Amino acid sequence: MSAYIRAATDVGGTFTDLVFYAVDPVTGRCGVVRTAKVDTTPPRFEQGVMAALKKGGVQARDLAFFAHGSTVVINAITERKGAKVGLITTRGFRDVLEIARGNRPDLFNFDFRKPAPFVERHLRAEVTERCNYKGEIETAAVLEDLPAIIAGFRAEGVQAIAVCFLHAYLNCTNEAMVAQEVRRLWPEVSVVASHELSREWREYERTSTAVLSAYVHPISKLYIESLERELSGFGFRNTPYMMLSNGGIATVAAAKANPVAMIESGPASGIYAAAYLGQQLGEDNLIVLDIGGTTAKCALVESGEVKIVTEYHVEKTRRTPGYPIQTAVSEIVEIGNGGGSIAWVDAGGKLHVGPQSAGAVPGPVAYGRGGTSPTTTDANLFLGRIDPKNFAGGEIQPDWNAVRAAFEELGRLLGVTATEAARGVVRIANANMTNALRLVSTNKGHDPRDFALIAFGGGGPMHAVALAEELNVPKVIVPVNSAVFSAWGMLLTDLRRDLIQTHLLSLGALAGPIISEQFRGMETETAGKFTEDGIDTTATKVTWEHQLDLRYQGQEHTVKVPIDCGPAGVDIRSIAENFHAAHERRYTYRLPNAIQIVNFHLVARIAVAKPDLPRKTPTGRPLSDTIRARRLVDFDAHGIHEATIYDGEKMEPGMEFFGPAVIQEPVVTLVVAPRHRVTVDEFGSYHVHLSHAGTA
Amino acid sequence: MSADLFSREIVKDALVAVGFEMFDAMIRTSMSPIIYETTDFAVGVTDAVGNLLAQGNGVAAFLATLDTAVQSTLVHFPNATDLSPGDVIITNIPYEGGGTHLSDVVILVPVFHSGHLIAWTVNKAHWTEVGGAQAGSVSTEATEIYQEGLQFPFVKLYERDVINKSLVSLIRANVRLPESTIGDMHAGVAAARVGARRVLEITDKYGIDNVLAAMSSLLDYGERMTRDELARLPAGTYEAEDIVESDGCGNGPFVIKVKVTISADKLVADFTGTDGPAAGPINCSLTGLITGARCVFKAVTNPELPANGGCFRLLEVICPPGTLISARSPAPVSLYYEPLIAAMDVMWKALAPAVPDRLPAGHQRSVNATFVAGLHPDSGDLFVLGEPLVGGWGASAARDGDNGQFCCGNGETFNIPTELFESRYGLRVEQYAFHDEDGGAGRHRGGKGVVLDYRVTADEVFLTYATSRSQSPPWGLNGAQSGSLNSAKIFRNGGAVEKHEMCTRLRIVKGELIRLTTATGGGFGNPRGRPREFVMRDLKNGFITIEQARRDYGFSP
Repeated sequence: MSAYIRAATDVGGTFTDLVFYAVDPVTGRCGVVRTAKVDTTPPRFEQGVMAALKKGGVQARDLAFFAHGSTVVINAITERKGAKVGLITTRGFRDVLEIARGNRPDLFNFDFRKPAPFVERHLRAEVTERCNYKGEIETAAVLEDLPAIIAGFRAEGVQAIAVCFLHAYLNCTNEAMVAQEVRRLWPEVSVVASHELSREWREYERTSTAVLSAYVHPISKLYIESLERELSGFGFRNTPYMMLSNGGIATVAAAKANPVAMIESGPASGIYAAAYLGQQLGEDNLIVLDIGGTTAKCALVESGEVKIVTEYHVEKTRRTPGYPIQTAVSEIVEIGNGGGSIAWVDAGGKLHVGPQSAGAVPGPVAYGRGGTSPTTTDANLFLGRIDPKNFAGGEIQPDWNAVRAAFEELGRLLGVTATEAARGVVRIANANMTNALRLVSTNKGHDPRDFALIAFGGGGPMHAVALAEELNVPKVIVPVNSAVFSAWGMLLTDLRRDLIQTHLLSLGALAGPIISEQFRGMETETAGKFTEDGIDTTATKVTWEHQLDLRYQGQEHTVKVPIDCGPAGVDIRSIAENFHAAHERRYTYRLPNAIQIVNFHLVARIAVAKPDLPRKTPTGRPLSDTIRARRLVDFDAHGIHEATIYDGEKMEPGMEFFGPAVIQEPVVTLVVAPRHRVTVDEFGSYHVHLSHAGTA
Repeated sequence: MSADLFSREIVKDALVAVGFEMFDAMIRTSMSPIIYETTDFAVGVTDAVGNLLAQGNGVAAFLATLDTAVQSTLVHFPNATDLSPGDVIITNIPYEGGGTHLSDVVILVPVFHSGHLIAWTVNKAHWTEVGGAQAGSVSTEATEIYQEGLQFPFVKLYERDVINKSLVSLIRANVRLPESTIGDMHAGVAAARVGARRVLEITDKYGIDNVLAAMSSLLDYGERMTRDELARLPAGTYEAEDIVESDGCGNGPFVIKVKVTISADKLVADFTGTDGPAAGPINCSLTGLITGARCVFKAVTNPELPANGGCFRLLEVICPPGTLISARSPAPVSLYYEPLIAAMDVMWKALAPAVPDRLPAGHQRSVNATFVAGLHPDSGDLFVLGEPLVGGWGASAARDGDNGQFCCGNGETFNIPTELFESRYGLRVEQYAFHDEDGGAGRHRGGKGVVLDYRVTADEVFLTYATSRSQSPPWGLNGAQSGSLNSAKIFRNGGAVEKHEMCTRLRIVKGELIRLTTATGGGFGNPRGRPREFVMRDLKNGFITIEQARRDYGFSP
């Protein structure tokens, strides 16, 4: 029997990444992790995936496991390329989708318009039905309303239908009945009912979830089916898994039924990979930083746990509320600051970096493709941090004259030299990212000194050490394969389903049996869903995690608390104590008030075999053999120094050295200012011990 | 030199970020929903003499409440030795800097670095309870400030880090929900201290000279950006007047007048000619008026730039003391936000023809706040609902108005989802929808107001309600129609229908229906100029009726 291959692909905005390795079926040992990068091929993304497999030389007969993350859902929404949706809702409430929450984040803009609803008013139909807040059906849905509604939708060319009724999170009878009747009357149309996606209260958010899910339903189904067809044509005998925003993977059947669950799959896998790596390294508290071409994403891992929230928004900024989606997503702060972010000067003479990005075309000035606005990447090049001979993996000869001209022009606007202007760009970019990192750490009550900063993505290692200095983080970790870390993360995930059910309940002495009963019911339902996906849950071990979203009676915000909910029942007192402690950590105080359960959150996992992380074997190569050169590098506040340039590909576990240094890999550059100590661990990851932490 | 230039930039950004950090801290530490849900508060940083450096806002109408509070504090504590590290000042006096109504309490922390006062961190938040005649300290019937709650006249809550226990005991004894009130107090102190700590960290890192230089450079930058925008506005004098219908005590209407003069380096808003004070609680303090004027000024200059004192150096507000919008003690002020919003609207109305790309036609111009109290039919517990309501915004030269938004005085204000609402209160929501009342027709149509129906399910409830624009509709522009009106109607058991614009503790019993209606905004341009396909789309969407299409738009099918 030959070795078998485990592979994952991550389709990004610019590149499609492939990560794979072989596992010896006899010894279980895994081989070297290999990667391939190809251009993303919109709109037929599956072609890029197949090209990556070919480029990587993966043979279909060896392929045992294939996980896939894509931006097809988020792209369909942001590019407005989804289906024409009709909405069916409770009589009296069709305008909920347009009224939204009424908030105006852009406080002083009196010509504000909220984002246009995805369903125009005449396609928002009402049905006579009513469930009350206790979950009792007061008026059964009047199905006789439906034929006329459907005739209207057909005449308007509707392609997908969303159904959302008041209080369906408690009792979905009316909603399910209507969805079933619509499917019977019009079998070809995509139908999505809110309770199939979310069991949480807040009708606007749930309606928006159902509408956006319907909006992307046909296109994601088509995409997944094309991918399946291509893979099976290639000779792949199993079915692929799809990466979800909750950090798990799902079968294609589950992904097709609930496509919005894939909305943030790329960033999620990177964060989970960081958490997994942290676990291997004994680092439980991590600040995660992923810097790509156009954005930087920040997240927090506390005690090994990634925080999952269901308050996700598409297109939300400080100036617009965006569109909410109630789906399990890891908590991320994203800002418009990446390698391609453009530097500019406003009317008041102030330097800004981003959020506009030069993208792939024209790209940074150094690409010589006609870009004239300097980017963060150009500044790093200009300051000697990026090796001109190794620019963009050595594939591009930087256009030095254009870069110099761009910074001279920027300097002229600011009244400084070109070098000072470039330094300013890096400093402003770092300040922007520091403020974003504060949002996930200090602003949430965490002390950065208790965390390690783990940095990946094309630009993460370039800036990470400076950011750690700013935040007083004692250590920076740059993982192996950091440029394709998100794709790599997909090989480390489990099959996962999150079910979150709003059910208000006082956490009193008698709540125990109700909690157990609620979770048992949710387990049964989830097991049924796995069975529908074609997974035999009697033969496969499902691991259950039980969490409660709790609050003090009378308050609105909740705190998530994991609980022990085995066959022995639950311990109410320890739940209460854990809640008080968690609340105090998050909100600084505890109250004597009664505690209330708002949501029951069930996480179901089916473990996917994960071989140990491949270890690098030292050959005893001396450190001096890894030195490529020495050159002058501008370390900004630390001054200009002759830095040692190391070849990252030759680095071995156990090596140790101090900055000023730059470690170069084909597409990653790790910049280490003077006095910080660098070590290489057994997996080949870099650890930068900052001098201020006293561990250098 | 250049290193200093960028350090200064980074210190400036860091100071602005302190505003956001304090905002998050306030939400994190607050125990009351009006703060962490309605975000009815503001936090910020000023320099040593009270120039605003950065502010984090939940609502627009707190824009002048932090810096003026510092300025008045310095009047109360004029000597260098009057203030020490560890002091915390508290005020809610409406008639001085920082004042609006008594529920909005200001907490101030002076920030000292190596013995020098270098900055202030401030927060102002709506406390759930400050005592007075009515629960929640809001009334439509008060005739003196003394009926509206406790006054904290710029006193020290902490002196050199020691809390003033006597003051806390006094507050505790005079409010209905002491735990909540004291909790709000501690949250305010915590948020101000978070800001103070960050300012000190920044100072330690960059040095006091760099930080002081950055502060003044930040103010100059705000001024420069604003001057640039002001120069784009057409110079001239613009006038408008409008009314606030009622003071809740049977008096009114009250006229608000403004004359706005724009020149290359200044915008002057002169409210001389505005009516005198009202007997009822619809008076607004000068701080409130300046806040309102700043909001409009910001809207016509650079709404996207984080506000700082430099932006407002080019704004002058004139109003003789003792008018409806420059109240003197002991005028009652608990509904100050209605005249404040009206003053904003008058200034907006004066400027709209001159700044058509930034100012649309008139909107619903009222918070449309309802307060409903009663016993929950399931639990028997007392519930108190307090909620603002969305309405229609005006159309502009480029677009139709926005449907269903909170008024200009609000901001990051969220409506309560029906699914939460019904579980909390003894009321059932029967519809929450746009209405198709007459009004707002234009080449661009005014945004739609809403109708919200509450069916009473408790045995009895008590309604307090206050609105304006109950008789004078939102104004249209360029030959368009004006909008419609705000109102509350009670559909009594037995068929009687009552209409209200102001009421306090009106009893309504089980089965009766409360119908709240908010105004549709004013239109822009002659309705006959609206393209036929837009009229047909409005018909299809049910935004207008066929009669309105015929009558207002000259539409023939």
